[in-house]
Amino acid sequence: MLSDVLIRLRGLVRHDTVENELDDELRFHFEQQVDKFVRTGMSLAEARRRARLEFGGADQVKEECREARGTHLLDLLGQDVRYAFRTLRKSPGFTIVAVLTLALGIGANTAIFSVVQGVLLAPLPYSEPESLVLVWQNNLTLKHTISDSYPDFLDWQRNARSFQRMAAFDWQERDLTSPGTPEHLNGKVISSGFFETLGVGPILGREFSPEEDKPDGAPVVIISNRLWRNRFAGSAGALGKSVTLDGVNYTIVGVLPSRFRLFGDEADLYTSLGQGDPLIYGDRTIHPIICIARLKPGVTIAQSDAEMAAVQDHLDQLYPAADRGLGANVKSLKQEFVGDVSGTLLMLFGAVGIVLLIACANVANLLLARSAARTREFAIRSALGANRSRIVRQLLVESVLLSLVGGGLGLVVAKWALNPILAAVPGSLPRSENIGVNVYVLLFAFSVSIAVGILFGLAPALKSSKADLQTALKEGARGSTRAHHRAQGSLVVVQMALTLVILVGAGLLFRTIRNLWDVNPGFDTQNLITFRVGLSPSTAKSSSGLRSAYQQLIERIRNIPGVNAADLTVLVPLSQGQNIGPFWVGSAAPSSSAQAPRALFYWTGPDYLRTMKIPLLRGRYFTPEDTVKSEPVVVIDSVLARTYFSDRDPIGQAMTIPHWGPVRVIGVVDHVRHWGLGVRDSYTENQIYAPLYQLSDDWAPMFYRRVTVVVRTPLDSATVIPAIKNAVYAAGRDQPVYRVQTMQKIATDSMSSQRFPMILLGAFAGLALLLASVGIYGVISYSVSQRVHEIGIRMALGAERREIFRMVIGQGLRLAVAGLVIGAVAALILTRLLSSFSHLLYGVGASDPLTFIGVALLLIGVAVWACYVPARRATKVDPMIALRYE
Amino acid sequence: MPEQRIDLPQGTLDLLILRTLALGAEHGWAISERIHQVSDKVLQVQQGSLYPALHRLERRGWIKAKWGASDNNRRAKFYELTKTGRKQLETEESEWKKLAAAVAQVLETA
Repeated sequence: MLSDVLIRLRGLVRHDTVENELDDELRFHFEQQVDKFVRTGMSLAEARRRARLEFGGADQVKEECREARGTHLLDLLGQDVRYAFRTLRKSPGFTIVAVLTLALGIGANTAIFSVVQGVLLAPLPYSEPESLVLVWQNNLTLKHTISDSYPDFLDWQRNARSFQRMAAFDWQERDLTSPGTPEHLNGKVISSGFFETLGVGPILGREFSPEEDKPDGAPVVIISNRLWRNRFAGSAGALGKSVTLDGVNYTIVGVLPSRFRLFGDEADLYTSLGQGDPLIYGDRTIHPIICIARLKPGVTIAQSDAEMAAVQDHLDQLYPAADRGLGANVKSLKQEFVGDVSGTLLMLFGAVGIVLLIACANVANLLLARSAARTREFAIRSALGANRSRIVRQLLVESVLLSLVGGGLGLVVAKWALNPILAAVPGSLPRSENIGVNVYVLLFAFSVSIAVGILFGLAPALKSSKADLQTALKEGARGSTRAHHRAQGSLVVVQMALTLVILVGAGLLFRTIRNLWDVNPGFDTQNLITFRVGLSPSTAKSSSGLRSAYQQLIERIRNIPGVNAADLTVLVPLSQGQNIGPFWVGSAAPSSSAQAPRALFYWTGPDYLRTMKIPLLRGRYFTPEDTVKSEPVVVIDSVLARTYFSDRDPIGQAMTIPHWGPVRVIGVVDHVRHWGLGVRDSYTENQIYAPLYQLSDDWAPMFYRRVTVVVRTPLDSATVIPAIKNAVYAAGRDQPVYRVQTMQKIATDSMSSQRFPMILLGAFAGLALLLASVGIYGVISYSVSQRVHEIGIRMALGAERREIFRMVIGQGLRLAVAGLVIGAVAALILTRLLSSFSHLLYGVGASDPLTFIGVALLLIGVAVWACYVPARRATKVDPMIALRYE
Repeated sequence: MPEQRIDLPQGTLDLLILRTLALGAEHGWAISERIHQVSDKVLQVQQGSLYPALHRLERRGWIKAKWGASDNNRRAKFYELTKTGRKQLETEESEWKKLAAAVAQVLETA
């Protein structure tokens, strides 16, 4: 109705005028009434008195008029907010505790939400990312997903119909020597159409043409925005200039937008996959590349998956020697990006939500205690004409105001907590560059604050508004304290239960990490330093040149005082690197390469096994005499020995390694936990060690490029690294030493998928414990203060202090134990989820009794400790004073 | 107060106000006085219900208000019926009459 809208609008816009008119109207009425009484012969004073009496509460009438006009709601809100500010300012202690509690709760939630938002919710930074997929091959015999072979990829590109475009890439590190200072850089080799598939265009120049994506194409490179700014000052003239990579000149044809990333890492150099080393990219049995593709509109992942299976099946028949036993499947890019992390993050989000609930329970408890003290205030207000909904609204405004202030402070907490969180988890979170306080995070914090304010404010508000007017107004009445006690008690029980759930989660992960540290990795992780060296291009011309350069380098490092042993390896255990290939026992080849067993290949220097202290079980280690000129030999691990030589002594047996030839087993060593201390699902556990110096001339350059030096020294890495650098620079200042790490650090990082949630869950558990102990402390000490009279009577009747102490502690313990029982049941259900999430637990059951008991004892201890102070206070009650107090 | 008073049934006050205003624009005090007079001092409308009712009727668009001078030349807020108010009065009046007749009939025969 128009009049309705107009009147409301007028009330809003011309608020003061409307109020004045209301005043005038009522005053007119009053004066008319006075006149009337005077006319009947009353004195003016008497007439006024009568009129005022008849008129009743002018404020109440006005209030009802405002309500009738419908303009009062916003008005009231303003009033309520002002009033709430005043009352909160009047009790600063309560306000500070409540706001800080909420700030911690909302802050922790906001921080985790910003992680969830950045990692899981935000779309990938490519155009129409939901239609991007990865196409993997899988080894049907070993039932494991693997990366793709380049010839197969080229066949897919020709045959598959589900995709608008298919592209491929592989990682390739490069040494850039010109222009500017030499630098070791991350790079990728990519097929033409790679950036078009992603929907990301270069900001300058173009991507590779199909002609450049061929072995005889011109050497061209696309560079990162960072490199462009650093080496070419961000000038458009960079196009057409050349950079020298590993001794070859490449012409720059494109520059990428800043912050372009794929799989988290920023590559600086993109060269053509078609021009890549034919040894690995020309061989159908080698699987180095990853295929990324864009689905045609309307094609689902399931449809493309079915088509790819058929396409690969066709290749299996065309190239049985290489491909029989291979399948292909399609996965969403987002899913592959985020992977296992989503489960962990959602678990953490749940945990931090529980922390917020505990915080809410605390504030609700504070409000209950406060509202008990304010019973008379509400009684007076309702006596003055405030109806129940008005009081509830007032209290809700107070609690929402509290939570909004808490939420604002929580944003500061979140922003401040985010960096340590991210620093605690290097590399274990994909897309972590995406995480920050953005508009979604702000919106989240805001809505959570409002919701939380209503959540913890509603129950106390409803409760206090129900207070009985009569009793409440009577001097000294105890009103509804009993109901308050029950409500507060149940809040504490809930807090205890929730805290137990989080503590159990953190405890299980803590035990997991302890167990992982106890896992024998198969070598000695102490006193080991690893680093990589870029040999200067002048020495790296030929395979034999490389060999002698590395031999001399190792010799110089060994001569450093304090270095016990040192050598080279292509693979470092626990470091996520992999070099998997087929092998078979004897000389008879299996019908298909895909069906041959797989092993990890460690191409190492002769002293590597000794340096790592990998125990020799049978036979011998390598010696410097194992060279290209002597018989090819390998050392195998105990797993391979047990699986393939169960019935005979492996020493002296013959094996075949494709691309290399027949080899003889000369030793068996202990198994090494290559994939990480807690990882159980790996492609292969077989391990083969082969002498780096027996690599043939064609393969040597590729593997030498990837070697890592391992050094065993009791010295601190800070003291030994300068000496090592000197030893390296002695052979040329242009040989960078990079990726220096201790093996301890590598071992720790290998547990990051468990460590990251453990650290956060541990922090949440600590927070929960703190909040819950504050909660139980508050309730017990409030109840002691309410029971001073009763305690006084008890003592007057002869109760001993010890009994009083026990009574108070017992009250707290009853709440704690009730919480523990409920929490234990909830935890038993929830930890089952924990264990089903991405293998988070290791060596400990989801319902591990030791963890449950330990955590329960901890919680009881904290509860007793929190009750100790009020219990002591109760024993100090002086019966005389307590009884006189009433 | 000596007069005998009867509590008004729910909704009746609106009808009485509308009826009173059908005779012409009036301010609040005069409305309550007139109801009092016309009902032979049986009905006494309290300010506490009169003014909220006036504001409610105004919001519904059945009456409208304007400021004018009272008999004794004071500034007063006068209410008058709108066109929809007049229609509303007719409906409510006939409904009330039907109701009253029905109630009376039940009381007489039962």
